[in-house]
Amino acid sequence: MPVIAYKCPSCGSGMVFDVETGTLSCHSCGRQDNIEHISDPLTQHVFAEEDEAQEYHCTSCGAVIMTDAKTSATSCSFCGSAVVLGDRLTGKLAPVKIIPFSVSKEQAMKAFRKWCRRGTLTPRGFMSANRIKGITGMYVPFWLYDLHNEVEVHGSGTKVSIYRSGEYEYTKTDYFQIYRKIGLNYTKVPIDAAEKMNDELMDKLEPFAYERLESFKTPYLAGYVAERYSYNDEELLPRAKDKIYEYINGYINSTTTAYSSVSYADVQIDTVIARADYVLLPVWVIHYDYKQSKYTFAMNGQTGKVVGKPPISKAKVAAWFAGVSAISFLAMQLLTFWMIGGTTW
Amino acid sequence: MNRKYTFFAVLFLIVTTLVAPLQLAAGEAASIHNKQLIYDEAGLLSQEAYNELNALANQYGVENETDIIIVTVNNESAIDVKRMTQGFYDEHAPGYDKPHGNAVILTLDMHARELYLAGFYKAKLYLDDKRLDRIRDQIAPDLTAGNYKQAFETYIQTAHEYMGFKPGVNPDNPFYKVWVQLGISVLIGGIIVTAMVYRSGGRVTVNARTYEDAASSGIIDNEDTYLHTNTTKRKIEKSSSGGSSGGGGTTSGGHSHSGSRGSF
Repeated sequence: MPVIAYKCPSCGSGMVFDVETGTLSCHSCGRQDNIEHISDPLTQHVFAEEDEAQEYHCTSCGAVIMTDAKTSATSCSFCGSAVVLGDRLTGKLAPVKIIPFSVSKEQAMKAFRKWCRRGTLTPRGFMSANRIKGITGMYVPFWLYDLHNEVEVHGSGTKVSIYRSGEYEYTKTDYFQIYRKIGLNYTKVPIDAAEKMNDELMDKLEPFAYERLESFKTPYLAGYVAERYSYNDEELLPRAKDKIYEYINGYINSTTTAYSSVSYADVQIDTVIARADYVLLPVWVIHYDYKQSKYTFAMNGQTGKVVGKPPISKAKVAAWFAGVSAISFLAMQLLTFWMIGGTTW
Repeated sequence: MNRKYTFFAVLFLIVTTLVAPLQLAAGEAASIHNKQLIYDEAGLLSQEAYNELNALANQYGVENETDIIIVTVNNESAIDVKRMTQGFYDEHAPGYDKPHGNAVILTLDMHARELYLAGFYKAKLYLDDKRLDRIRDQIAPDLTAGNYKQAFETYIQTAHEYMGFKPGVNPDNPFYKVWVQLGISVLIGGIIVTAMVYRSGGRVTVNARTYEDAASSGIIDNEDTYLHTNTTKRKIEKSSSGGSSGGGGTTSGGHSHSGSRGSF
């Protein structure tokens, strides 16, 4: 049976992961079980890749569980029981580590409302944040890459010095040939592996505090939605490279600051995946309706950082523009008045 | 509630529109007195141009409490233009506040094709040698070309404009121009608002340090080979404003003045 549900041994209700205590807890009777001590059913059952079921039935009510092909944890749409789809979390699809949620749903809502109120350019109707359509706690699949790079750079640089002698100004340019060999290692570079998550949004959610990375255990998923990865580590390597190449170029430049100008004839970066771990990271996904448009925001489920493009009020943009311009103009006029002892009008 | 924001918009409008009326109001109060400030002995101006320029000189003179005077002479007896200017001041005793008072004089010697600018008292303080040099540089091309009316107008306006600046300040610094300041403030507003819009969706808060394993990263090998040197030389321009500039002096009547001399 690939469907895993957590039933309270005391009262039989469904149990979910609780952020405050970090335990699997029962909302009916208050029982709290330490996750470390629960035997993980995934370690006992082994599901073959071909066994992946087309249809899952809720262990509580027997209804068909509605999911899409990438979901690995959800709740039954009929009875609300938290269910984990075991066969989507084993074998190649088994996450190595997980950062459990540390921001609860209530805290997430509160933090999001606060974030909306702080929006300096968002319309007033949006700032009240009263149209939150849905908030979902989602474990998003990420690859954490350890990347080793060997960088070889050939180029040329100049050092320019200007000095005066008599009636002449001399410009002396020394030409150099430059060679750099650099080893650059990056650890735990996160790249989101879910097709449905916006890459730009996920990049902005960083950083996650990796001290809280725990070994993966299925009870963490109880009560949340989880996705399995859509792309494997090889497929996402180009994105990881894009991300670190910016850093690498910055590092190369920092080694040639002694020169007035540098041009690189040849830059070779050899990137090797030293390690790629499949992990689940906590994200609150917030859907918001405002004036017939849908907005999606994401919140780092560990740090509470909110990202996402809010609507922009044209009136507020105009007001800020006029205000800032007027104040700068007045400041310059005051400065001028003080410097020349009068106005220039 | 949008009032708070419209307030800024209105403030901005008020500040910009204030510029124009103030300028007009200042101009109107002037042209009441109409004393002779232009002595066109060489007959360079038509009656119409003369009236226009004399009125302009009167108007601006009031604002600066300084007589803005133009003297043109054929100078057949070939007197030095500077001495002629000093002589004119001693003899005619011009001055806005009193005889031998605040005055700036432009003398045109049509014989030697030389001009001299002199500032007395308040004009000596506000129109020092350097500023008179600047005025001379601005009008000399027009004088050479024979556009006397245009040159005189520039002289009157520039002398008036420069007297609005505290002594010792460079009056041609573009920062002091209203339209430059307006441009800069609009630019600042634009940059700040663009940054605000850009940042409204959240920022990337990781950098190169975040994921770098500093312990195992670093330069393994480097080589910097000297190839050759290339040296160029350039003659340093002497900063002289061209022409002969005599600077100021003292008249035989004992009035000290600033001055700028040149040919056209």
